[in-house]
Amino acid sequence: MRLVAFATALAAGVASSFPAAAAAAPSPVTAWYMYGSSASELKSYAYARGCDFARAQPGTGLRILLLDFGAARKLDSSIWGAVDFSNTRFSNAEIVAALERAADGYHNCHVRGGVEIVYGNSNYHLSSSGMSTTDAWWAGYHQAERAEQLSDYQAANGYDSQTADAAADMEPSWDGALITRQLVSGNEAQGWALYYDFGSADGCPQSGSGDGPCNNGWRVGDVGYVSFSGLALPLPEIYYSANANQWTVVRKWWDGTQGGSYFFGGVTASTGVGLAPAAAWNTLNSLNSGLVEPELVCVGC
Amino acid sequence: MRRLLNVRLVAAALAGLAVGAGGGFAVAHAVGVVPAEKAAALERLASVATTDSNTEPAPAPALDPRPIPARMLGTDVPVPVSPSVLQARNGWLVSDGKTLVAVYAGAAGDDPAVGRLAIVRQDLVSGRQTVQVIGAGRTGALTITAAPLGSAVETSAQTGNIGLRAADGRLLVLDLGNGKLLHGSQTALVR
Repeated sequence: MRLVAFATALAAGVASSFPAAAAAAPSPVTAWYMYGSSASELKSYAYARGCDFARAQPGTGLRILLLDFGAARKLDSSIWGAVDFSNTRFSNAEIVAALERAADGYHNCHVRGGVEIVYGNSNYHLSSSGMSTTDAWWAGYHQAERAEQLSDYQAANGYDSQTADAAADMEPSWDGALITRQLVSGNEAQGWALYYDFGSADGCPQSGSGDGPCNNGWRVGDVGYVSFSGLALPLPEIYYSANANQWTVVRKWWDGTQGGSYFFGGVTASTGVGLAPAAAWNTLNSLNSGLVEPELVCVGC
Repeated sequence: MRRLLNVRLVAAALAGLAVGAGGGFAVAHAVGVVPAEKAAALERLASVATTDSNTEPAPAPALDPRPIPARMLGTDVPVPVSPSVLQARNGWLVSDGKTLVAVYAGAAGDDPAVGRLAIVRQDLVSGRQTVQVIGAGRTGALTITAAPLGSAVETSAQTGNIGLRAADGRLLVLDLGNGKLLHGSQTALVR
């Protein structure tokens, strides 16, 4: 009701910011690091993760099932994919086959709500694997294409409680800003999928609103670009209060230089770090009131 | 819908309010609520139902558990843990196809003088994943120097010992059986 009232005010032209989101942290949902030694194993695990997610899904809302397949890679002259956390290389065709099994698993075990199944990868050592900036652009492009392919599969099978998108763990420390920005630009050029940035603003300043330096030659503006330009949406890792401070600087920089409207698609949290998942969401929200969507993706929960 | 509830309610409310004014999402865009380039994707999220029109179960793939022999992971292998938590030096991994353990060694993301480990455990059957972060104190970065390797230890190594060397030269042992990091003379007890 409060939001509708806000919308009324908005339509009347008396407000100009993103409306208030939830006041308290949502229940966390589990994100998975994908380890596999074969395509068939990857599919069977993805099916199980989709089913697990559906059974445990809290509430009746739309939640993100993030499957992180490792680092984006060009596997040969015309094949794109990822190298996973066990050092196994999977093509995008193999990854989307696994994602389709996750969709099947969610469908078979569906209890309530809906799901956005997200093809995640990262910018880990793109350059040192031999990828050029053009290769990274195509990696983003094809990743978005595969998310759309997954959505087509969901629609064709009557999985109306599902949709699909893409994501990347974009970490300043893992590769340069120029090549990482190309992942986002490629996704934007394909034009279909949201591109969640579930990475960090590592090394960025914790106060102010300027284009200050971050790790590895990045600047605040680079983090702003990879997290909010085009179809990008920030789902930032908030593990310590310093992370929330850094992302607040990114938001302020964007709003100050790019015309406002920056908001967070939610928070990525973890166990075993400084902030418990709910505290992570609450800390970011306390610094960006009403600008954090009620999504809390958690590795280790 | 819980996620993007605000976007959706605002959009719906604006659409209703703005019929006479020809507004809808255009009004939201004009006041900066939803960036235009994201609007279509966000509207797609808003259209997701909470039930499936297909009520038939999909075929389930056969469970295909493949063990991963215990192996060291070099810097060319992706690390799942954020560098804001761990600046990893190297890692180690083993899986018997049902449960998996990965250990990453290095330094704290915000202080290279602090040694740190991250342990990822997955129960691939029951669908549980945990992440444990262990601090070693002001030892400098940790590196895994001794660990069980090969296919003969795919289950036993998951509760075995991992040897580490700190940047300051200290030797440490991670006991995966209890998740404890042992320093100095304690390490003799588990060798």
